[in-house]
Amino acid sequence: MRVLVVDDSSTMRRIIINTLVKLGHQDFAEAANGLEGLERAAEGVFDLIITDWNMPGMSGLEFIRTLRAQPSERRIPVLMVTTNAAKDDIVEALRAGVDNYVIKPFTPDTIREKIDAVTGRAA
Amino acid sequence: MDAQLVQCLTESTCEVFRTMVACDLEPGTPLLGEAAQPRSHVVGTVGFGGSRLGLVAFHGSLDAAREIAGRLLGISAGEVRGEIADAIGEVTNMIAGSFRTRMAGRGESWAISIPTVTVGTDFSITPRGYGQRAVLPFRMPNHGDLFVELLLTSR
Ligand SMILES: [Mg+2]
Repeated sequence: MRVLVVDDSSTMRRIIINTLVKLGHQDFAEAANGLEGLERAAEGVFDLIITDWNMPGMSGLEFIRTLRAQPSERRIPVLMVTTNAAKDDIVEALRAGVDNYVIKPFTPDTIREKIDAVTGRAA
Repeated sequence: MDAQLVQCLTESTCEVFRTMVACDLEPGTPLLGEAAQPRSHVVGTVGFGGSRLGLVAFHGSLDAAREIAGRLLGISAGEVRGEIADAIGEVTNMIAGSFRTRMAGRGESWAISIPTVTVGTDFSITPRGYGQRAVLPFRMPNHGDLFVELLLTSR
């Protein structure tokens, strides 16, 4: 499984990648904002996108809106990892095309469950 | 200072440290007004605006910041090099973001900024034009005191 991890914090990207490695995944690309995320997504094929919301330049929400508006043969599952956890935030993210949501701060179990859920590995 | 704000910010800080840093902070008594001036080596700040306007600042020593960065990254504090600023920025972002969510449940509606981090040895923050100020002390076992500062602009 190839995963694109988009977050302006290199620390948060590392935390997410450490979790993915523990889940047995090894193939990653990273981006620090929405624009870089679109560039990476155009360059390669991904099975999962994990993105932050608040980032300088292009936000995660704009990134996913733009990605979903592009013609594509398949719909890449998107997991949003963000501190934005008010009810209105979650509604807005789901409308933009996010499939599932992890609220920061998170436990390794939570992110593991959500990754399994969006990639269809949930029991 | 509204006691609800202080309580929500205390809860947010403890939650971030418990969940992401595997550390139970011991909150102390909040200091209100201009009395307290945390002297720290690493300061992360996140501004917020909307139904209220202000700033959340996280203060820690270099030793504490290195320990926090190491725990977040899954490496020892001794291996931490250039990651301190980014790690403290993300901790401040998570504290401010959780605080925003808690206050949203109490009718407040804010947007928060991207974090800014200052690392140095001889500086202090002098807020101008802020209406209210609270400094929340926390003890990080074996790593001294951390402070989370809340500044509110009066309108
Ligand atoms: Mg971010």
